[in-house]
Amino acid sequence: MNDRPMSRNMTRRQFLARSGALGAVGISLPALLAACGGSDSAGGAASTTVSFDNWPLYIDPTEDSALGTVDRFAEATGITMNYTEGYNDNNEYFAKIQPLLGNGKTIEADIIAPTFWMAGRLISLGWAEKLPLADIPNMANITDGFVNPPWDPTGEYSMPWQAGMAGIAYNIDVTGRELNSVEELFNPEFKGKIGMLTEMRDTIGLIAMGLGIDPSTIASFDDAAPAFEKLAKAKADGQIRQFTGNDYTDDLVSGNFAACIGWSGDVLQLGKDSPNIRFVIPEEGGTRWADVMMLPKGVKNSANAAKWMNFCFDPVQAALITQYVQYLSPVKGVREELAKINPELADNQLLFPDDATSARLRAFATLTEDVEAKFDEEFSAITGA
Amino acid sequence: MRKRSKVARWALNIFAGMGLLYLFTPIIFIVAFSFNKPKGNFNIAWQEFTLENWMHPFAEKSLTHALRVSLEIAAVSTIISTVLGSLIAIALSRYKFRGSGGINIFLILPLTTPEIVLGSSLATLFLGQNFIEFGFTTIVIAHIMFQVSFVALTVRARIRGFDWTLEQAAQDLGASPMRTFMKVTLPLILPGILAASLLAFALSIDDFIITFFNSGNVVTFPLQIYGAARVRIPPQINVLASMILFLSVAVLLSGTIAGMRKEAAKTSAAKPKRHSLTKSG
Amino acid sequence: MTTAVTASRRISTNADRVGLGAMLVAAVCLIALGARWVSGPAASVLLLVLALVLIGVLVLALRGGPEARRLLAPYGLLKPGMLWLALFFLAPVWSLLRISLSTKPSRFSVDYNFTWAFENYSNAFKDFGTQFQHAFVYAAIATVLTVLIGYPLAYVIAFRGGRYKNILLGMVVIPFFTSYLIRTIAWSTILADRGFVVRTFDAVGLVQVLEWLHIMDNGKLLNTPAAVIGGLTYNFLPFMLLPIYVSLEKIDTNLVDAAGDLYSSAARAFRKVVLPLSVPGVFAGTLLTFIPAAGDFVNAQFLGNPNTTMIGNSIQDQFLKQNNYPVASAMSAVLMFSIASLVLIYTKIFGTEDLA
Repeated sequence: MNDRPMSRNMTRRQFLARSGALGAVGISLPALLAACGGSDSAGGAASTTVSFDNWPLYIDPTEDSALGTVDRFAEATGITMNYTEGYNDNNEYFAKIQPLLGNGKTIEADIIAPTFWMAGRLISLGWAEKLPLADIPNMANITDGFVNPPWDPTGEYSMPWQAGMAGIAYNIDVTGRELNSVEELFNPEFKGKIGMLTEMRDTIGLIAMGLGIDPSTIASFDDAAPAFEKLAKAKADGQIRQFTGNDYTDDLVSGNFAACIGWSGDVLQLGKDSPNIRFVIPEEGGTRWADVMMLPKGVKNSANAAKWMNFCFDPVQAALITQYVQYLSPVKGVREELAKINPELADNQLLFPDDATSARLRAFATLTEDVEAKFDEEFSAITGA
Repeated sequence: MRKRSKVARWALNIFAGMGLLYLFTPIIFIVAFSFNKPKGNFNIAWQEFTLENWMHPFAEKSLTHALRVSLEIAAVSTIISTVLGSLIAIALSRYKFRGSGGINIFLILPLTTPEIVLGSSLATLFLGQNFIEFGFTTIVIAHIMFQVSFVALTVRARIRGFDWTLEQAAQDLGASPMRTFMKVTLPLILPGILAASLLAFALSIDDFIITFFNSGNVVTFPLQIYGAARVRIPPQINVLASMILFLSVAVLLSGTIAGMRKEAAKTSAAKPKRHSLTKSG
Repeated sequence: MTTAVTASRRISTNADRVGLGAMLVAAVCLIALGARWVSGPAASVLLLVLALVLIGVLVLALRGGPEARRLLAPYGLLKPGMLWLALFFLAPVWSLLRISLSTKPSRFSVDYNFTWAFENYSNAFKDFGTQFQHAFVYAAIATVLTVLIGYPLAYVIAFRGGRYKNILLGMVVIPFFTSYLIRTIAWSTILADRGFVVRTFDAVGLVQVLEWLHIMDNGKLLNTPAAVIGGLTYNFLPFMLLPIYVSLEKIDTNLVDAAGDLYSSAARAFRKVVLPLSVPGVFAGTLLTFIPAAGDFVNAQFLGNPNTTMIGNSIQDQFLKQNNYPVASAMSAVLMFSIASLVLIYTKIFGTEDLA
């Protein structure tokens, strides 16, 4: 008898509660299984660990028979590396560490992997720790172009991790033909099927090259204004489908993008499984960049970090990393090592550009703080977020 | 005329069927692709059938770790919010007091504020102070914040109509207030509290926007998926999602069957239940 | 002596006022402390006041006799939760408003100077007006769509579900046990240019029609306004469907039968009886759908394009990427107040008691 009136009174919340109950029970079981399944490699005294927060898919993993670099490092030195892939976007990462480093605290990671311009910013803010260079004898293997680079003029704060170039990536199944010009990104034929990067220096840099502006000489906003205008117009016209970070590869492979601005190594990696994906340094030229290894201010395991950097600058190790990530290695002797294990890659222009190719690449100029602020503001106004 | 209404009737049923299909479209997709053997990093194009992913559902270490973090956060925040929220609900339904109207309205406020406002405002509170760093603690605090209202309102709805004079009766018989609560009140309101805490748990596990603003370096399950979506969508994501789904179906079915059985038992025995409160759907 | 006794009795009989007052004072102290409204010695004083108030109420409860205890009890039960909300819901809103009127001394500074910087608000409107517009328009369309889809579905389940009612209801809820993000990402794959849906539309010649209707654009369905609205509709559908179902389920079927006899047509019976009784459900569902949809950024990010960004995307970008907390806070504040006023107006017009 009592049941009827009660059910009439059932409210929306009871409902949510009931459905919630189902959901929670449903969720908890796999979770329990998960808790049993995983095993953490944490533990050990502080002096035998080091952590590296890197970009995703940026190191060779341990697969079947072959050990990845992280595991080879542990085997060689006895140091456990806590390797994470939390570096997804320079601005996003900066926003995360800013409240800590800006307040004089340190962050969890011992090594981080900012792109060159972000490295310059961290150094000038005083948020980076000097490297114990004496403990990194393999320093001597840094290729000439990366000795005392513009973002770290004294070379005391950073070691390059990988370098690469930005150019045009395209899906030939969609375009139906080879592309060779920045102009193609603005071709109405591909309306709504073009991707651009949220990384301002690559997107604006490449468009500038297309307009005949050398991004390495840009000093004020006016210098780059035509590139911004061109981008803004393309966005308003619906030419651009999305501004993306690393995720452009997804849209490229699935055919949502006909063409986009992309990074050389990504596209080479993709090419293994999807031969219809191509990468070209356009005739107007491409941009060059580097991601670096750096110690945040107050770093805990500086000595172990030095051991890691030293390990990575051994050409034998570096060649194995290069074989997987397929970016430009900043380590001398990698080409020779790679020739032994993968001769085809050792001859690839996108990994080891010859002088003629290198001459067509430009790195974005270092911007002063005020100018950079203006660039970022204008760029984020266009990306529309 | 009968004929026309029959047509209308069927049209409506078909529309409802299409509605259900719409609801299930992505679900079918998610389950199907948990059996896919993807080429490359993105599990987005159908390649070939495999059971491999289901054999190794926890092969993705970072994904499994993130799931564990989410469970820990959900467990801690649910326990605290259930206590806080239930106390509020008991106060609201047990007593008539000055200010209860205001409290009622105040409780709804967090639910009528967009998540992005809750998340960003909480982040401004944590920014630039030196007591707590962004991370596990801030996520737990954030989750409790939105769970409390949900728990309070859910429990209050469930215990509406509870006969509080039972407490009086127990105390007249000599039970201490503590004993009364433990032996009389709690067992009766417990189903409502449990339901509310399960809801709170589910809300915590799936929360993305508020967590996104207050997570620091900690990566929860939704945050891991968000990060993965940019570089790599492993089929294990689909496997874990499908597992959750299948278990939900199992729970729902068993609940329905139990309900039907109870219904049958009740009609045959025709015995009045002791308390309407113990009824569950 | 006697005056002391009457005084203490007066306090006892007015214990509820004391309890409520103590709770409010404690809440105000926590808000002020949490939002760093006060600092230095003033903060210590406030902390002291907070402690004294809490101790005072405790003393009153312990020594005030059963009547005082009974009057104080609800506030004692409320206090932990309410103070939590004061510190982590109200204080944040306060600090959000403060930062929205602040300026940063330098671009990468972590400090703020409160300067009544109203230009943050004018900048927010000037630079992000379109995003506000998108948020409200998309959320409104999605809300209407959830009613159109959710109502018939709820109706069929409630009145024609019979013994399968619970199973049907479960089927409606089950899809939402998979993660919000996974569902949205799944849609982005389903709607892709070479995905199943677009290919089917292409095969049956629907593409031209849909392009004419501006639902598809240049052969694509993904990364269009329609996809964003579709995603919002999908993700928030249960928030509409469940309240409608609850209000429909409460309706006595005998009443509907009687109405069927009374009015000549089923449609008329529906309009005169069922519809009015389900209004509270639609009302609650509208709020529960519109509010989260207007603040969402996930759908616009995964399913939209650079010209469909919503205010949630802007807040997220300014806050978590550009470190522009003042403008991000100003946008958050505007969103909060505009939604609050919309809710108020809406409640005034269609208001019912059945919100909670």
